[in-house]
Amino acid sequence: MSNDNDIILSSATSMSTLTINEVSKDGFGYNPSVGPQSNIITPEASTFLLSSKKSIITNNPNSIYDKNIINKKNLEISLSSLAFLFCEMVNWCHSNSKGIQDLETRLNGLGYQVGQRYIELIKLREGFKTNKREVKIVEILQFIHGTFWKAIFGKTANELEKSQDVLNEYMITDNVPLMSKFISIPKEYGELNCSAFMAGIIEGALDSSAFFANVTAHSVPITGYPLRTVFLIKFDDSLSIRESLRS
Amino acid sequence: MSSYYLTIIGTRDNPLYEVEFSSFKPNSSSTSSSASASSIPGRAQFAPDVREILPFIANSSLDIIDDSQWSTSNFNLGRVDSFYGLVVNAFITQGNVKFVLCYDNVGSGTNSKYDDNLIRQFFIDVNDLYVKCLLNPFYRVNDAIVSPEFDIKVKLLARKYF
Amino acid sequence: MSKSSKYNGDDIWKNNVEKINSELFTLTYGSVVAQLCRDFNNNYHEVNNQLDKMGYNIGLRLIEEFLAKTGVRRCQTFRETSEIISKIGFKIFLNIVPTIENWSSDNKTCSLILPEPNPLTEFVELPITTDSKISKELWYSQILCGVLRGALQMVQLDVDVNFVKDVLRGDDRTEIRLKLNKVLKDEIPAGED
Repeated sequence: MSNDNDIILSSATSMSTLTINEVSKDGFGYNPSVGPQSNIITPEASTFLLSSKKSIITNNPNSIYDKNIINKKNLEISLSSLAFLFCEMVNWCHSNSKGIQDLETRLNGLGYQVGQRYIELIKLREGFKTNKREVKIVEILQFIHGTFWKAIFGKTANELEKSQDVLNEYMITDNVPLMSKFISIPKEYGELNCSAFMAGIIEGALDSSAFFANVTAHSVPITGYPLRTVFLIKFDDSLSIRESLRS
Repeated sequence: MSSYYLTIIGTRDNPLYEVEFSSFKPNSSSTSSSASASSIPGRAQFAPDVREILPFIANSSLDIIDDSQWSTSNFNLGRVDSFYGLVVNAFITQGNVKFVLCYDNVGSGTNSKYDDNLIRQFFIDVNDLYVKCLLNPFYRVNDAIVSPEFDIKVKLLARKYF
Repeated sequence: MSKSSKYNGDDIWKNNVEKINSELFTLTYGSVVAQLCRDFNNNYHEVNNQLDKMGYNIGLRLIEEFLAKTGVRRCQTFRETSEIISKIGFKIFLNIVPTIENWSSDNKTCSLILPEPNPLTEFVELPITTDSKISKELWYSQILCGVLRGALQMVQLDVDVNFVKDVLRGDDRTEIRLKLNKVLKDEIPAGED
């Protein structure tokens, strides 16, 4: 049935090594360069799915797909371990960057990938009965400031404000941000703000949810809170149009 | 017996994963139909001309899904479209990845509520699998999902619910 | 009575360690490894080297906190050292306790078997591609080898540390091999590798 003229090309560059002639080993696995034809139920697959044995193909006993990620036991680790790792991330980014701006961009990028994943995980854990997709700017911000922050950093953020002067600008403030808590910045790093990594997490979460934004971290110490950091969130202009259409 | 086509669609309207299947339950009711067409439990039995256009049907429903994306805060969008006897149900994640299920509605006209509930449960479980896939650092948003383990789990869900 | 029993990893973990949810660590480390693979254009030998180097730098500094928190004194034998690494070191930093086996007859080489879930690899599945380069070359948790090498060097132990098995590659278990080369005599360790 599969026709060589009807190849659906892979959108994933990382998978470019999969060719249209590739036959999956066990009759399982989707091949994007073939499309749905790569993934019909074969007689072997059918027999396998109907049998109760599972161990033959899933040779990885620790497969993530066999774990419960919604109610799993909350494992803990030492904060120091994250601190040591983070310092090395900063060192490595620093040795590869052209300046402080570039270094912050790299840290932001590392955080971004974490945020993209966390937003889906946390929403999955909230459950679908009582909870909802965030579709409004104010609501997603409240979610990030509250549930999201708490899940990742162990406490909610401190303040959530709308900018008085600039449209589409919001600020989330954390008096004691986790990532700055354990890193003292050497002088040669100048104005570096390590919370750029946290800003990246927020940006990744917002972009994933189609609230396209640019998030930056700014050190704004006050008495009693020398590490206080403001995360400045600038939403894309198109969002207010989307929002106004619905209200 | 209904046949199903599930596709997971990325944020750039690109397909990430596709699968065709049918009910795995023994085919007791439709003895009249030509059972010889396929005796493999679980294999979809779309007519060839329908089968060819399934990805296009799924794609054409994206406009409707995009509309509901901002007008409702539900994850499950339910029945969003129908087309030449094919019904389209959809689900959308917080990360704006869409699950679209197209199926022929053979002989289940009275049970549509029941079907929609099953499909909703199915989508919720697929979402769980999708998040597991996403947590892998080597997977990037909008990459095709080629993991055989993911595929097995989706097909086991198909068997469980349909 | 063995000397390691004087120190109790569980007690230190419970009372003297600030803890966080391990998922942030898991995802952050994943983000680093994935980025290194891109930066080095999937040259996994270089990725391993870089992870090892980062680990080494961590080890050099981590030992100070370790000694301060635990009060551990100089060990008499390498067997004792390995016990401390597993029951105290891994416990208070990663909240796991690897088992130690496979001692060589000269008591200078042994294996650490990492239990699952390993907080570095909890969500990881190596990508499936036609060439299996990644599952033959990448040691995903290589940073741990660097940490051990660096930390042990600070206490005058010159040790080779490397992975020999990893469940991510389809092996039956995750195994780090430790080999004591020599005990250094008051030498000043080199800074960067």
